[in-house]
Amino acid sequence: MSAGSRRGWIPWILLGVLVVGVLAWALWPSGGQSDAERARSLAHELRCPDCESLSAADSQTASARAIRRDLHERVAEGQSDATIRRAYVDRYGESILLKPEQGGLGFLVWGLPVLLLVAGAGALLVAFRRWRSAEPLQPTDDDEALVREMRTGEQAS
Amino acid sequence: MKHPARWVAGGIAVLLVAFSVVLATQVGSDPRADAKKSQLAGKDTPKFRVQSLDGKELTQADLAGKATIVNFWNTWCIPCREEHPELTKFYARHADDPDFVMLGIVRDDTRKAVDRWMQANKDAWTVATDPGGNAALAFGTRGQPETFAISPDGLVVGYQFGPSSAQDLETLLAAARGGTGA
Repeated sequence: MSAGSRRGWIPWILLGVLVVGVLAWALWPSGGQSDAERARSLAHELRCPDCESLSAADSQTASARAIRRDLHERVAEGQSDATIRRAYVDRYGESILLKPEQGGLGFLVWGLPVLLLVAGAGALLVAFRRWRSAEPLQPTDDDEALVREMRTGEQAS
Repeated sequence: MKHPARWVAGGIAVLLVAFSVVLATQVGSDPRADAKKSQLAGKDTPKFRVQSLDGKELTQADLAGKATIVNFWNTWCIPCREEHPELTKFYARHADDPDFVMLGIVRDDTRKAVDRWMQANKDAWTVATDPGGNAALAFGTRGQPETFAISPDGLVVGYQFGPSSAQDLETLLAAARGGTGA
């Protein structure tokens, strides 16, 4: 690999590092949350059972208040977020989750956009490489004769 | 590979179709479609603790050995008021059955309103308040009225979302006694 082609890869490597870094930052579980923050965060993920399209964190119904209290107790008992979500799904069904689960079919909802992004980047890469490796067009004898003829005409006029 | 771009485009098309199918079947469907069925069907009665109007604490253990109807209700809900004559009629038929119990758990209401209701209606079955809404949460209720049938061995075997007729309640009781699930 020549020094020139190595330099050509640098922007791609930087782009890859940037994408991986952003994804890691966005998806990495945030550490250092207090119990209250965890309970609040979970309440935002759960649908209020007896109201429309509100989270348990945002609703003031008796059910939502009971859920918030229950979440505080479960977090204080040391239950993991996954265990708590599972307990609510067991009780209410998948519809209690405002965000689809990240396993099973829910993986498609989360994973497909990422796969599409990667596939799109791959398509762009292939297209750029093809454009770069395409042979530059060479003028034919007819082309050169046509240009000569036009120049001669310009000079004459 | 002769035409890599075509393969990539084909792959993207397949992913888009799959994504559309997921959106159409999962996200686009009514997120509360499962609201009318209980996730507890076939499971053990959840742990709960309520307080009867005469001050006695009741838990799931107190229902053991009896075919039980648990009805979540309150005084201000119109469907609960519509359901009330049916509950009364149904309970009158089975009140003398020693192997049967009907428990009305008040959901999201004040003790004062419940006392007024009881003075006016004199319900004969056990009525209990649910401080903190923990029983309503344990049963996974989404509103009221909601009615559960519990078998003598503690399994939830029937569920009715919304007001029950006396006939619905008979079906639930039959399920609780070991007949067909409701």
